[in-house]
Amino acid sequence: MLARDAESLFWTGRYLERAEDTARLLDVTYHGLLETSPAEEAQAWSDVLAAVRLGQVFADGRRPITAATVSEYLVFDPKNAGSILSAVEQARENARTVREQLSTELWESLNSFCLELRGRNLRADLEYQPHELYGMVRRQCQTVAGVAAETMARDEGWRFFVLGWNLERAEMSCRLLSVRYRQLSPSAFHQWMNTLRSASGLEAYRRSYRASMDPADVVEFLLLSRTFPRSVLFSLRTAENALGHLALDGELTRPLRQLGRLRSGLEFADVRELLQGDLGEELHLVEEGIRQVAASVATQYFSNSREFDLHSLHLMPGEGGIR
Amino acid sequence: MPPDGPSATEADPSSLFANYDRGGFFDEVFDADDQVRPHYAALLAGLDRFTPEDLVRRARIRDAAFRSQGITFTVYDEGEGIERTFPMDLLPRIVPADEWQHIEDGLVQRVTALNSFLDDLYVGERAAIHDGIIPTWLVETSDGFNREAFGIPVPLGARCLVAGVDLVRDGEGTYRVLEDNLRNPSGVSYVIENRVAMTRVLPTVFANQQIRSVDHYGRSLLNALNRVAPPASGDQPTVVVLTPGVFNSAYFEHVFLASQMGVELVEGRDLVVDDHVVSMRTTQGLKRVDVIYRRIDDAFLDPVVFRSDSTLGVPGLMAAARAGNVTIANAVGNGVADDKAVYAYVPELIRYYLGEEPILPNVETYLLWDEDQRAEVLDRLDELVVKPVAEAGGYGIVIGPAASDAELEECRANIEADPRNYIAQEVVSLSRHPSLVEDHLEGRHIDLRPFVLSGGDIEVIPGGLTRVAMRRGSLVVNSSQGGGSKDTWVLAKGVELVVEAEDESTEVESSAIDVEELS
Repeated sequence: MLARDAESLFWTGRYLERAEDTARLLDVTYHGLLETSPAEEAQAWSDVLAAVRLGQVFADGRRPITAATVSEYLVFDPKNAGSILSAVEQARENARTVREQLSTELWESLNSFCLELRGRNLRADLEYQPHELYGMVRRQCQTVAGVAAETMARDEGWRFFVLGWNLERAEMSCRLLSVRYRQLSPSAFHQWMNTLRSASGLEAYRRSYRASMDPADVVEFLLLSRTFPRSVLFSLRTAENALGHLALDGELTRPLRQLGRLRSGLEFADVRELLQGDLGEELHLVEEGIRQVAASVATQYFSNSREFDLHSLHLMPGEGGIR
Repeated sequence: MPPDGPSATEADPSSLFANYDRGGFFDEVFDADDQVRPHYAALLAGLDRFTPEDLVRRARIRDAAFRSQGITFTVYDEGEGIERTFPMDLLPRIVPADEWQHIEDGLVQRVTALNSFLDDLYVGERAAIHDGIIPTWLVETSDGFNREAFGIPVPLGARCLVAGVDLVRDGEGTYRVLEDNLRNPSGVSYVIENRVAMTRVLPTVFANQQIRSVDHYGRSLLNALNRVAPPASGDQPTVVVLTPGVFNSAYFEHVFLASQMGVELVEGRDLVVDDHVVSMRTTQGLKRVDVIYRRIDDAFLDPVVFRSDSTLGVPGLMAAARAGNVTIANAVGNGVADDKAVYAYVPELIRYYLGEEPILPNVETYLLWDEDQRAEVLDRLDELVVKPVAEAGGYGIVIGPAASDAELEECRANIEADPRNYIAQEVVSLSRHPSLVEDHLEGRHIDLRPFVLSGGDIEVIPGGLTRVAMRRGSLVVNSSQGGGSKDTWVLAKGVELVVEAEDESTEVESSAIDVEELS
């Protein structure tokens, strides 16, 4: 398929996942804080900003960190390219450039999602019914994912879509953990539960670990679970599977090798060892690794820079080509 | 009756058309005695069950559907792109089989002659010029004339691979050609989407009629494109649609065509030319391209030979076409043949190339560089329509009877400064068709753009885009000028129409249609 189309599908997946993750994070934070002190509250909102890697940018704006300012910034601030509204707009814009690759239903569900979001009074929603708003975003993202899964052929386009979607998810889950692992004290029961909730993992976690809120169990679940689809390991496995299908004749492409190494590091990790060592550093390395994989995917599939350089050498009619 | 069904009130057959006024124009639905034309009888019977409010509600449903499906065009206002839906009027326009046969014959004849003229001009002996059918200077001063197109072959001479010929009906109901669109005629996506929308929002009105379908357009277009592939490309040529990109106002149509054909939609930056071979950049490296259905104007196609500031095009594309390694459709340089001044010569070109009388007449046209004709036109400027020869989309047109004195004076000055750049035509009182205006029906002027495919044989898609001038009294139907559209039904030949109630719950009391009269 066209390199540009592949890139657009990759980013459609990424932006949708970003919108969904941001909505989950805001929802849980907001509702988890209704009964806490102002100091805890400020800390929690700056954790949110850190989890989406926008803490520095936000601080540059010299705004106070409150529920209202952070929520507005992350939901609809037009200057924030990472806001939910911007992410959905960009997912739609990317999908629009590859519309001929998408099923009508898929395009329609994404388009209506975007139009609905645009048509809402988001400021009023944040004030009066944030839970409804975040729920809508989550549901619509899941609808798009479901329609995609039900209507897209398992061809190259699908693989790039899944790849973008899962790399974003793995990266986001990783950051969520880095932000929260500092509250490792077993007494932080409340935060750990919210962390699980924001990953929609509370029920699945309880089935595996019962009612324990041992931080080691939570970290193991969110980082290393082989069955929970939003864990870092599971997302990376899904991404690796997509990359494997994209490699012709089983070729070990650069992004595939990088991702394979990254994934097997987690595959055979032991959570107790991780907690005894520097978990923060470990998570940072995984996050860095995911970014490297994304960069290699771009070089491998989206740019084709080699041919382009060759081409620019002789574009005048009548000149011989370099063989 | 379901809540969404037609209103339960006893629909008076005349209610939709209660105060309808033909206004002295040729009306598509009613004849001069206000009688329903026979080919509209079944439709009107089907519409009996609807009140104007029903139609208004359905129009809203359709609009919401088009918006969520993204069937839109983009209007640019102060740099901000706004996506608009193309309004569709819910009353379809119907063309009976015999009228359509006449139109089809006329279009095949006209496009055949235009293809011959273009091939003669660019790769032939320029016979029409040598034989004095059309003046050399006129051809060479046309904006659409393109020296870069000399010697570039087009297989089968199918230079106007897709032609959109705008037809109007005059006061007598005669179909006339208003203009030819041979470069990048657009609108065919609306032909197909309008039909789909109609079957969804007004399914019952399709009952008891045999309407020819239009949804095979993608297959027909792909067939035509396959047939003009360079001979060396084999049985399975690679066809692509070339778009200027997502910001183009017709982007939806480009997407639509690529997906209907199942081919890649590429932008200029996706293509590279190496050693006169065009390839597209895919995830697996370069893949050769054989046929490009381009929706980019000539001037932007190739920065090496045309506008060097174009970033939409592909450097080296023209050289590749000249080498016969790729076919560009529509061919480069077609603009010369849809120049509005050259238009006046098309009837002569038909006689010259085909030895036939034109089936579809032109609109009476005056050429302003001719001193006598110019004098007459300047004398009657307030009675005529003046058009710039190279503009499309209804821009720059001055309609004499509607223009202010100042506009007429400006127009006069423009003509005197550059007579080659304008033509004048008699005002055609375009036929009208009932259209939904707010909550009632009013007559609105319409035209018809059928789409004609050349690829060896010439194929006319049954129907076309009926455009409606939505403003009262307006004669300008272009979408860029506030026009809307209608679904266009071409009736199949020799079909017995049987009117019957299609199910028991709906009481259609309209079987009083003379079946013999219809068949």
